Amino acid sequence: MVKSHHLAIEPGDVGRFVILPGDPGRCKVIASHFDNPKKNAENREYVTYTGSILNEPVSVSSTGIGNPSAAIAIEELRAVGADTFIRVGTSGGMQPNQIPGDLAIITGSIRDEGTSKHYLPIEFPAVANIDVVIALREAAETLGYNTHLGISHSKDSYFGQMAPERMPVANFLEERWKAWVQGGAICAEMESAILLSLGAVYRLRVGSITLIAMNQDKPELGISTDTAPAIKTAIKAIELLIQLDRKNEEERMNATRN
Amino acid sequence: MLQETEHTKLKADDIGRYVLLPGDPGRCEKIAAYFDDPKHIAQNREYNTYTGTLLGEKVSVVSTGIGCPSAAIAVEELIMIGADTFIRIGTSGGMQPEIRTGDVAVVNSAIRDEGTTLHYMPIEFPAIADLDVVLAMREGAKKLGIPYHVGPTQSKDSFFGEIEPDRMPVDSRLNQRWKAWTAGGTICSEMEASTIFILSSIHRKRAGGVMLMGSLFEKTPETPEEFADLKARFDISRPIQVAIEGLKVLIQQDLQNR
Repeated sequence: MVKSHHLAIEPGDVGRFVILPGDPGRCKVIASHFDNPKKNAENREYVTYTGSILNEPVSVSSTGIGNPSAAIAIEELRAVGADTFIRVGTSGGMQPNQIPGDLAIITGSIRDEGTSKHYLPIEFPAVANIDVVIALREAAETLGYNTHLGISHSKDSYFGQMAPERMPVANFLEERWKAWVQGGAICAEMESAILLSLGAVYRLRVGSITLIAMNQDKPELGISTDTAPAIKTAIKAIELLIQLDRKNEEERMNATRN
Repeated sequence: MLQETEHTKLKADDIGRYVLLPGDPGRCEKIAAYFDDPKHIAQNREYNTYTGTLLGEKVSVVSTGIGCPSAAIAVEELIMIGADTFIRIGTSGGMQPEIRTGDVAVVNSAIRDEGTTLHYMPIEFPAIADLDVVLAMREGAKKLGIPYHVGPTQSKDSFFGEIEPDRMPVDSRLNQRWKAWTAGGTICSEMEASTIFILSSIHRKRAGGVMLMGSLFEKTPETPEEFADLKARFDISRPIQVAIEGLKVLIQQDLQNR
């Protein structure tokens, strides 16, 4: 089997569970939570490590920034057998009660990007898998983190969000931002819309957890760079999903036996 | 304080915080029969209202009429007088081959294939059900042993555009988009959920939906026995029972968290 075009991986290189950070530099830290982590590929912005959790192969692969490169990563990971994805990243808080250091568990995404339209018409909702969302929520509760559950704004332009006033389409950006906030969106980031859309197309289990690094409308609250809580929550959620899968498998076997 | 809502003809004390939303005004009485002490409250245009109790909590059923425009009016007016939890209930087409006629859809999101929600939110924003409502409805279906599927619904404005696309001037567009909805894992097609979900996001209310599905794949019954079997399965009391059971789960949770 030839290695995949961009991630340079082949069947056997990754587990069915994959954690997806944006930053390739974050893969090693995430892999350190696995048993026996090994780096098995690096090409462009894509770094991949595989190890195990509860004796189940688990991988981490970076997506790079943005939906276009994330789509490539998810496509190539799926092609070699991965079926459960948890994005771990950073985001900007959008509601007044969100303070830097809080976590956001994403239930759905605003498709304010170009990539997912190459798969599904824009009216289709980008939604996280319910079992992944519950696992993330339970993991964050167990670990005692302050968590918000809701919709993310998934966009293609970082500076269009951070400095809309200097864009030629400033009015358009500002008016839409107001609508997203009023609709209850909890955080702004750049990869979840495509992850959740590909989850629908390929029937993958997908979810997303981000650190709220800052609050867009309250810069005075400062910035948090501590991604450890989001990483620990994702690891714990994968443990819960592995246990859930084993329980379901056992029930299925018992049902067939009877 | 508002004397009486313009279309639904309701006052603040007339309804509970929990509201079931069928499309058909003629179905309200049947649904209300599952409440304790149901009373007919109001009827105007396509809006028919009954209120009773479940586990001692006030609950109502209000018909929305067909389509997002009239559903938006119902939800807006119900929110004005204090409703905060909405369960859409009704019949729909089952869009995946594994769905059998009589299975129930626990709707977690909606395709915004309609015109109403664009008056509220840019199209990129996802129409998503509340997680706790979805979990409660799933629990209701599990408790009753009624086969269920969790997933998105296609909320559309044209009934005959779905049923008879080939006779529409825009037939190729309708057929192509239908193929995309199916490929994306859409489980059912109906006409009101997207608006109920979007309005609930904007007003920070909770919404979900339970739909009876008629398979679009099963072969047409030929013998009287097959016809009787199909008729027995396509029973509107199934989603009503799931919604009532799910609502009880939700009410118990709310009472515990109070």
